[in-house]
Amino acid sequence: MHAIQAVNISKSFGSVKVLDNVNLTVASGEFYGLFGPNGAGKTTLLRVLTGQLAPDSGSATTAGVPHTDPIRLKQRVGIVPEAETPPTFLTAQETLELTCRLRGLADMGERVEHWIRFFDLDEKRDVLCRDLSKGQRQKVMLAAAFIHEPELLLLDEPFINLDPIYQRRLREYLLGISSEGRTVFMCTHILEIAERLCDNVAVIHRGRIVEQGRLSEIRHGGSLEDLFLRAVEDHQVA
Amino acid sequence: MLSLRLLHAMMKEEWRLHQSLVGPMGSALFPATIFLFTAFLALVAPRVLSRMPTTTILLMMHVASVLYGLFVGNFGAIGEHVMTRRLGQVSMIMQMPQTYPVSFRRMMAVFYAKDSLFYLLYSYVPLTLGLAVAAPGAGVSLGGVAMLGFTTFISFMMGMGLSFTLSAVSVRSRPLWLLLNAAVAGVAALVYPLGLLPPEQIILPLAYWTERSMWTLGASSVTAVVLALAGVALMKERYESRESRSGFSFLDAEGLFGFTGGLRTLVAKEWAEVRRAGALIPMIMSFAGHLLAIYGMSWVFEAGVGVSLGFNVVFYSGFVGFMGVMTYSFLTNLEHNEYLNVQPVSVDMVVKAKLVLYFTLTAGVSAAYVVGIGLLKNQLSLVPLGLLLAGATSVYVVGVTSYLTSLWTNTMFFDARVILKFCAFVVPPMIVAEIAALMIPMRAGLATPVVVAVSAVLLLASAPLLRRMERRWAAVSFSFVNAGG
Repeated sequence: MHAIQAVNISKSFGSVKVLDNVNLTVASGEFYGLFGPNGAGKTTLLRVLTGQLAPDSGSATTAGVPHTDPIRLKQRVGIVPEAETPPTFLTAQETLELTCRLRGLADMGERVEHWIRFFDLDEKRDVLCRDLSKGQRQKVMLAAAFIHEPELLLLDEPFINLDPIYQRRLREYLLGISSEGRTVFMCTHILEIAERLCDNVAVIHRGRIVEQGRLSEIRHGGSLEDLFLRAVEDHQVA
Repeated sequence: MLSLRLLHAMMKEEWRLHQSLVGPMGSALFPATIFLFTAFLALVAPRVLSRMPTTTILLMMHVASVLYGLFVGNFGAIGEHVMTRRLGQVSMIMQMPQTYPVSFRRMMAVFYAKDSLFYLLYSYVPLTLGLAVAAPGAGVSLGGVAMLGFTTFISFMMGMGLSFTLSAVSVRSRPLWLLLNAAVAGVAALVYPLGLLPPEQIILPLAYWTERSMWTLGASSVTAVVLALAGVALMKERYESRESRSGFSFLDAEGLFGFTGGLRTLVAKEWAEVRRAGALIPMIMSFAGHLLAIYGMSWVFEAGVGVSLGFNVVFYSGFVGFMGVMTYSFLTNLEHNEYLNVQPVSVDMVVKAKLVLYFTLTAGVSAAYVVGIGLLKNQLSLVPLGLLLAGATSVYVVGVTSYLTSLWTNTMFFDARVILKFCAFVVPPMIVAEIAALMIPMRAGLATPVVVAVSAVLLLASAPLLRRMERRWAAVSFSFVNAGG
């Protein structure tokens, strides 16, 4: 059973080809990492996989739902986008309540309290998101993505702006849900964390997947950083 | 030298920001529209406003300029938002004092100079050129037109400087700000309605046209500069981050809108945004103000020409929908909605929530407007027909707007194709309804059924329009405009 299957995905913005025939398969229960230099196409691929962007060609199925049915797809997965943009004029608590309502979750009170406590947002629960720090906004975004306990999480730089305490807490949470058989698909530049978490990885460069496979097999004894640099530099020369 | 470099960089930033919002065509169209509109008004004014004294026309132009300046000069609050990260994802040169060795006051002074220059080039130069087109026919010298452009611009600068100073005070002390506002309102009241001060003693550039003294021009310019400098001096260098807490719960608001069924969560979100952005009163006042402006313009016309236009309450009711476009656009500008990209919600659902809130907020004002004009004109028997037409035009025109522009009304209305489609949808039925409304006093038996029929057609057409809106926008990202459409 595939959690994600992308076949020949291409996407251009104007004359710039951002994704070029991308093929990607993520099995259920995997912790999958996508890496690439700035502007390589990671965020665009994640937006296609989550139904936020329609590809120019190719097809993608995420959590068993085709990209052409974005509402049902988003209902099934949890997404942390690239930028921390919770609603400006809602409070942290209200953002989580809104999320529960939009997802039709029954036990809203318990879920909201759990995630407020998990990220220590109790003192900030009534503060408008506009006035939260970047790290606090990121915590709200993470809580909103986790609150419905989805089978598949798609995370774009989830550790950004978090201090080491919450990086660790998030890392342990993600490892926990992965061990339960849930799938995590993550884009990040923090290779040290990714190395500890990911089973399988792919490197994307200039819109193409230039390396993919089991991390233990394709790094040939080196680090993830070595693998990343080698994959990008090889294709730089080419 | 640094200030000049900053000014140059800010001018480029302003130009690019404007282009990113409305596109190159929209950017170019704005001054062109001011030029054409002013030229048209200036050409017809000698005939249309023949009975209006020149002093009244000059007074109106200078008052309008002061109000324009007051409207755009809220820089104190903008500065505070920049320094406390309340502008969200927007990055501007003005934020540089946070990390670079340049003072925030210097930055604000340059920002003020940039905006002055921008409004001069973007509004007052095309306005003056438009007036110049009609100058030969009206027997006015080009020098006189240039002087009028200058005195109205200085009036604008005085308004902008006053607004800047008041907004800078508001950041430091709310009570002092209230006191100063009361003082300004008191001085304005001495001019009108009390009539104890002549307007040119407050709007100094206006005095040039009675005294023809260069000293008054000099005093006006100095006043505008002093007000701007006061605003700069009052700006703080350091800001404490604020933490706004909500005064009401989002879930309570959801209860308020229980009647909207499945939309109640999104409507409650919209309601919370309007309330917490401080937009509720300005939005309602703006809607009511525009409706009253239509009544006011016809009054000015009738006073100028000296004949009654015979506009009745049904005629005025037909404009309610038009004014709703601006209010709907206001609603779409409050929040970026990026967050909803990752939730199981589509754009059309948010549009519907905005439509519900729009009708909730404006229905009472629209009805009061129609009933009020009915009372003023002693035409209460026509009020039910007026209410029907006002309701139908509101539903239809705002429905067309949401179908064509969805959540990006302000931006998409700068696209000529969208404007043409809007006109094709809206203008023909409106012309029929308004002509029928004007015919009511002469042939009520024919005109009344026509108004009823047009209203019915507009209401019936609104349902398929809503369905088409759903189909058109359901699969679009909430970042539609940012992604280049």
